[in-house]
Amino acid sequence: MPLLELINVKKDYMKGETVIPALRGVDLLIEKGDFLSIVGPSGSGKSTLLNIIGCIDTPTEGSVLYDGTDLSELNDKEKTRYRKENISFIFQSFNLIPVLTARENVELPLIIEKKFNKEEIHDKVSNIIEIVGLEDMADRFPRELSGGQEQRVAIARALVKNPLVVLADEPTANLDSEMSEDIISVMQKMNEEIHTTFIFSTHDPLVQKHAERVIILRDGLIASDERKNHGHAD
Amino acid sequence: MGTLIKIAWRNVRRHKRRTFLSALVIAVGLAMFILMNSIMTGMDRANIDNLVELSTSSIRISTKEYAEDIESLPLKYGLQNVQELTMFIQQQEYVAGATPRTQFLGQLSNWEETMPVIGQVVDAKTDVIVFALMNYLEGNYFSDEGENEIILGKGLAEQMGVQTGDYITLYALTRYESRNADEFHIVGLLNTTDPNINLNTILITYETADSFLDLEGLVTELYVAMERRVSYNLFVKDVQQLQTKLQSRFPELQIDSFLKIASGFLKLTEQKKAFGMIFMLIILAIAAVGIFNSVLMSVYERIREIGVLRAQGMKRGEIITLFLWEGGFIGILGSILGLIIGCGANIYFVLVGIPLDKFSGLETSGLPFLGRMYGEWNIGAIIFVFLFGIIVAVAASYLPSRMASKMEVTKAIRYV
Ligand SMILES: Nc1ncnc2c1ncn2[C@@H]1O[C@H](COP(=O)(O)OP(=O)(O)O)[C@@H](O)[C@H]1O
Ligand SMILES: [Mg+2]
Repeated sequence: MPLLELINVKKDYMKGETVIPALRGVDLLIEKGDFLSIVGPSGSGKSTLLNIIGCIDTPTEGSVLYDGTDLSELNDKEKTRYRKENISFIFQSFNLIPVLTARENVELPLIIEKKFNKEEIHDKVSNIIEIVGLEDMADRFPRELSGGQEQRVAIARALVKNPLVVLADEPTANLDSEMSEDIISVMQKMNEEIHTTFIFSTHDPLVQKHAERVIILRDGLIASDERKNHGHAD
Repeated sequence: MGTLIKIAWRNVRRHKRRTFLSALVIAVGLAMFILMNSIMTGMDRANIDNLVELSTSSIRISTKEYAEDIESLPLKYGLQNVQELTMFIQQQEYVAGATPRTQFLGQLSNWEETMPVIGQVVDAKTDVIVFALMNYLEGNYFSDEGENEIILGKGLAEQMGVQTGDYITLYALTRYESRNADEFHIVGLLNTTDPNINLNTILITYETADSFLDLEGLVTELYVAMERRVSYNLFVKDVQQLQTKLQSRFPELQIDSFLKIASGFLKLTEQKKAFGMIFMLIILAIAAVGIFNSVLMSVYERIREIGVLRAQGMKRGEIITLFLWEGGFIGILGSILGLIIGCGANIYFVLVGIPLDKFSGLETSGLPFLGRMYGEWNIGAIIFVFLFGIIVAVAASYLPSRMASKMEVTKAIRYV
């Protein structure tokens, strides 16, 4: 069974009187361990698609099955729990909590999850901070970090609870190419080592190069879905 | 929970100016309440002290029959056992003294004008222990061997056009209900701001009354003074304890405390307190608007952050809690600040007081005191208002907090 199954997903936004179709019938199967990039021009519906998968938005039509469960049948509380237990987000604009240090930002999802004690949290956080290479910056506040460092914190924050799926909306859009390369390789490493499923949107060709599956979205529809042969495969 | 508090606290610290301004409004409200409460309590206390000192004493003892007919001040129902009563009372704790009085209705005349008066027959030796009339006396008190001496309220004397040293005629019904009149020598005038004493009261001694009213030592009322306490509540407790004791020892007698005798006046005092409460509520309502605004701004500034927290799986309730803590912190800071300002200023009012002669027209308002007025510490009210300030702050944060929690996650994240 695929991890995620999107069946004829449509999403309309209303802008005043006019209907804006952001997604116009997307069918998509995502396997566990996919390292998948969604490519497309601005406004093609990439963010909308990720938000729907992450259950912070609901489709107007069609359904999303996670492990066989239809997400549209969950109530608000269950959606919150679904996110808490399975999904992590990485945002284009990092979105770190400004009043928390790097370490505290990374701890936050574990604290929200309320599953681990202090020591476990400390160990997990230290471990992930090391993986993203931020040991020296852990006690700095976001404003004291560079964009690349901020995004590393955001990635550490997304990965610390060892989610099944990481949704990254243009994670490198605010970074230069060297930093982007860096960030992608961190994600790739996680994908290879612990088979975390990554779904990220991008229009950065550099990022596409590393993806093992590339979906091209155009005007709310999938224009192509290609799996590369090299890299890690199921 | 700890993390929510941490985030809330750091945000409160981050916006120092905004936090300070919102907290200041609460602080001002609190400080004003503390001061107003102090002054009003002080004023009430001064009023009550004066009332007790001048007219009610702490406890009044009479026969039950007399109490029922007290309006007409009958000379029928005398206390049988004044000696025994006095002895017993003087053995009790915190008692300053006891004195008999016999009240009667009379008329004062200067040949041109006649005025109704309330006569007080007093024991010249013990009366001054129980009542503080000496502090308000112009002229002399009763002399040891003088006969037909009288002391008048000053207002009364002015109306009759008489002065110390003059003679005046008093009419009254004797104990046996025959009319009697006699000339009295005015030795002193009582200048209190209590209009009852000032305008209606005359004092004569038992020695004089024995012949004038055929009194034969008849005592209708026994007044007891308790020692003054700094704490009003303790004073009330002392009085009530003695009252209970007396009542069980002398069940056949009517034992009333000043709380009963002056109940009308005390009720008025309570009403004034309620008014002070309304005043504070208005100030705190203004403070609530300030906090509402502050938390609302906080919410708007952090819409994106709220979206991130929600996307990470934070529950709506936890978002509400987060912002309630922010409001709560502002409330705590404001309340602490208000406590410092209010109590600091109150030290001045309690120790130095306010000179009353600065306010003209106070005498006509019937406040029976002169000189300085002092504030009083009212710990209960201070604790209450401190907690109330915090509660108001948290309550005012509720609406914006709820708004924050209701925000759609995608919109919140999109929001720039
Ligand atoms: N909340 C919204 N309200 C109205 N229109 C929206 C909203 N979100 C997205 N859209 C519209 O939906 C379309 C797809 O947007 P989006 O998914 O953000 O595309 P992308 O991420 O590929 O740039 C765009 O035309 C956008 O303007
Ligand atoms: Mg987008």
